[in-house]
Amino acid sequence: MGIFKLFKLGVQTANKKARMLIYLWLTNILFSLIVVSPVYFLLQKDFSKSLLGDQIGEGMNLIWFGDIIFKYRDFYPSLIGVFIIPAVLFFLLYIYLNGGIIGRIAAQDVKVTLSNFFSDCGKYFFRFFRIFLISLIGYFVLFGVVMKLISALFTLWTKNASTGWPQIFSSNLKLLITVLLFSIVRMFFDYVRVRLVIEDSKKTIKATLTNFSFLGKRFFKVWLLYLLVGVVVVIFSVVYIGINQILPKAGLFFIIVFIWQQLYILSKIWTKMLFFSTEYHYAKKSITN
Amino acid sequence: MKNVRLLFLFLAVISTLVLSGSRELTAQERISNITYEIKVKLDDKNKMLYGKEDITWYNRTNDEVQDMWFHLYYNAFKNEKSTMIEESKSDIMRGIRVKEGKWGWIDVLRIELADGRDLKPTMEFITRDKPEHPGDETVMRVCFPEAIKPGEEVYIQLEFQSKIPRTIARSGYYQDSYFIAQWFPKPGVYEEGKGWNCHEYHSSSEFYADFADFIVDITVPEDFVIGASGKQINAAPNETEKTVTYTYQENNIHDFAWTADPYFIKVERDFIADKEVSQKEYEEVAGILQLPFEDVKLNDVKMILLIEPQHKGQIDRHFNALKAAIKYYGIWYGPYPYETVTMVDPPFRTRSGGMEYPTLFTAGTSILTSKDVLSPEGVIIHEFGHGYWYGMCANNEFEEAWLDEGINTYSTGKTVAWAYGPGTLPMAFNGIPLSWFLKLPIYYDYELDRAAAINVVELDPITTYSWHFINGASYGGNVYMRASTCLNTLERLVGQDMMFRILRTFQMRFRYKHPHTKDFIDVVNEVTERDLTWFFKELFFDTLDFDYGVSSLTSKKMKKYVRGVFETNGNKEEYTKQKIYELEEKNKAPEQKNVYITKVKTRRFGEAKVKGDVALKLKIIFDNDSEEICYWNGQERWKEFTFEKPAKAKYAQIDPDNIWLIDSNIVNNSIKRKPSRIGIWKLTSKLLFWTQNCFQMISGLS
Repeated sequence: MGIFKLFKLGVQTANKKARMLIYLWLTNILFSLIVVSPVYFLLQKDFSKSLLGDQIGEGMNLIWFGDIIFKYRDFYPSLIGVFIIPAVLFFLLYIYLNGGIIGRIAAQDVKVTLSNFFSDCGKYFFRFFRIFLISLIGYFVLFGVVMKLISALFTLWTKNASTGWPQIFSSNLKLLITVLLFSIVRMFFDYVRVRLVIEDSKKTIKATLTNFSFLGKRFFKVWLLYLLVGVVVVIFSVVYIGINQILPKAGLFFIIVFIWQQLYILSKIWTKMLFFSTEYHYAKKSITN
Repeated sequence: MKNVRLLFLFLAVISTLVLSGSRELTAQERISNITYEIKVKLDDKNKMLYGKEDITWYNRTNDEVQDMWFHLYYNAFKNEKSTMIEESKSDIMRGIRVKEGKWGWIDVLRIELADGRDLKPTMEFITRDKPEHPGDETVMRVCFPEAIKPGEEVYIQLEFQSKIPRTIARSGYYQDSYFIAQWFPKPGVYEEGKGWNCHEYHSSSEFYADFADFIVDITVPEDFVIGASGKQINAAPNETEKTVTYTYQENNIHDFAWTADPYFIKVERDFIADKEVSQKEYEEVAGILQLPFEDVKLNDVKMILLIEPQHKGQIDRHFNALKAAIKYYGIWYGPYPYETVTMVDPPFRTRSGGMEYPTLFTAGTSILTSKDVLSPEGVIIHEFGHGYWYGMCANNEFEEAWLDEGINTYSTGKTVAWAYGPGTLPMAFNGIPLSWFLKLPIYYDYELDRAAAINVVELDPITTYSWHFINGASYGGNVYMRASTCLNTLERLVGQDMMFRILRTFQMRFRYKHPHTKDFIDVVNEVTERDLTWFFKELFFDTLDFDYGVSSLTSKKMKKYVRGVFETNGNKEEYTKQKIYELEEKNKAPEQKNVYITKVKTRRFGEAKVKGDVALKLKIIFDNDSEEICYWNGQERWKEFTFEKPAKAKYAQIDPDNIWLIDSNIVNNSIKRKPSRIGIWKLTSKLLFWTQNCFQMISGLS
């Protein structure tokens, strides 16, 4: 089956799971609200009665921004804590939610409900947590070894440069290589998860090892499919930025901007589901064949 | 070559005679009290300089001078015992790490008087600045066999060799590109009754030297393009050695820097004053400055640009910014008096950008730029501006750095705003400007300066010695941004036209002199005809936070009757809630308007106070759009103002004209009776969106 057909199947599956999209969006916004609420209350306390409070919504201005930086200088450590703790919890939560996402994608024609979604979350959590631990090895190899070697090669290229061009080319090329290699590692462990669900297996190490031969045989096709979904993310982002630049922002128009922002977040969550669904269809077809 | 030199000296003498009414200026009459004749050769292969230097120093004081102190600033790059490197170790912002084999140093091989008497046996290194760094070798002292009497000259011959460092503190090399600054033995400033003012090379400091007349021969390999302080008067190729010796000359400057790079593109254009400044502009400025029309007329200037090939597309941007700087600094503060100005796009990786030297400065740009981001314009205007504030009005940058950095940061902001308007925040990712893709915030320099200034007020006074600031951030924040913010505040206080007059007077009065903070304050008081000494005491000499605000605002209906027991016709009568209601209903006149008592409490949250004839303005706007203006002298910690009006107050605002830009908390300058949250909702919704994106990204790692 060609990658475009697989992509189409993935889109169809992701579209069928709209309810799951809402669950994931609610999770995202709830955690974000936990982080933002203290900031909101601080601003409300200090700015709601000040004339400067009316300006802070009208784009950045260094007068009020300077005041905020100075005024809350003692709060930064606690504000960082307010971000980091929910971020870690959110990360762990997503290990849990990934089970529900893949589980419900695998249950092709079954309607998503809270109970079957969370049942899958629970069912796969410990397996996925083990996969996460194993994936740390992959990320260590990527960032601790491969990227260091690549950086050393780039340094050789740029250290005797006589203009700024090699620096610009190399830093952007390095970024591109990092993104591509990262996508490979991420894709690898996505397939391990998907195959664990398809095969309903608990043997995470075995699944990881067999995934090498599975992906090794069809690497470029799998990767192209993965990158194709990645292009969707880029397209959504470009569309978001383009329209956001022209949206009116004065007064209550910010509500329209807010809705547009939430649509963008929904698109990101949808593409996350799309990654898993295309991977699911590919793995399913390959295993069946 | 020698003939050219003689011809030049002849012409110089003739022109001097003409300018001085057919007689030669005496040493006492000349601006400069030093002359330098330097011959230096660049050894590209070994990264060395070999120099010979003849110095004539004229004792203009009434002291008998026994010795002479020299800056040997290349020794700041010699080892980890130098004051500069020791200081930088304790400052995370300025940590200097020199790679092996990349150190720089200077050796004085020979130093003697004109009659051949050797001064070298008396040579010693001096470390007088506190805290002491005994291993420093950046200040050298030699003793004369006989004291130099008042009005006498001393003629000294020197020979030196220097190892050029891989760039440290904007001086050095990368590959075959050089920026050479602080490179020759340079006497300090002899101050009558005090002795030599000759500080070590500090991590957080710039320089101080006397005005001098320079003639410098620079010999470099023939394929090098060079630029230097002053004007080039000759170029003599040597076919055998495959070198060229360039001769540069300038009078009345206090330092000399040069650069050499085989890749430079050299472009020359003229600033033609009558083309750049209209008659109307001259007339307006003459009116503002209360000066005769002829006094504000500018001179033509030859602008020389040395630019790296990869920045060739930005040649026009560089010249346009320089023209704006010559024009506005010229008409506001006085004409640029030199014939040339050389603008150097710093050679790649020489890290020499953004620095001023007399008649030469380094700019700095990126390969990829955005037209909305005012870079390189900002740095060009700032560094050219130092030709005025440091170059001509030559304060001691070690002891009172704000006098040039603060005034020049203020002047840069004004020039950029007049010539270009607000700029876009310079944000880039991997060398690519983000303004290509995103609409980034725009700002004026004074807003950015204030944002930095309020964060450093409590660290050090602005007038602290440069190396005594707690760290580099405090030095930069106070000397540049806070001083500039205070000057912007002063401008708002006295008016823009008055501020132009102050700075014009200060520049022209102290041109080719070494002014102090007191001189500036005296000029402010004289020009404004007010005593504003307190302004400097509060805001420059101390670490007092300036924060006035409004802490409360209430508007309550005025009551005719109040609860309690009152004497009526000798009887005690209690007014209860019920009784009051009944009385009010009974005495209610048709269409009776309510009267409200509005109370506003202003507070002085900070320690700094306004003084003298200055008071803070308080504005109260009422629901019926009427307003009340009153003034508070701001001496007490708080003051309550009461108003009886037929409407409730909408808001109260102290300093509604935003005069006090240095106020660290503008949020509390106003208070509304009814809070509004729309702005907060907007900002919070943006924060929420960013956080959601971050979390979504985090989910991708799980």
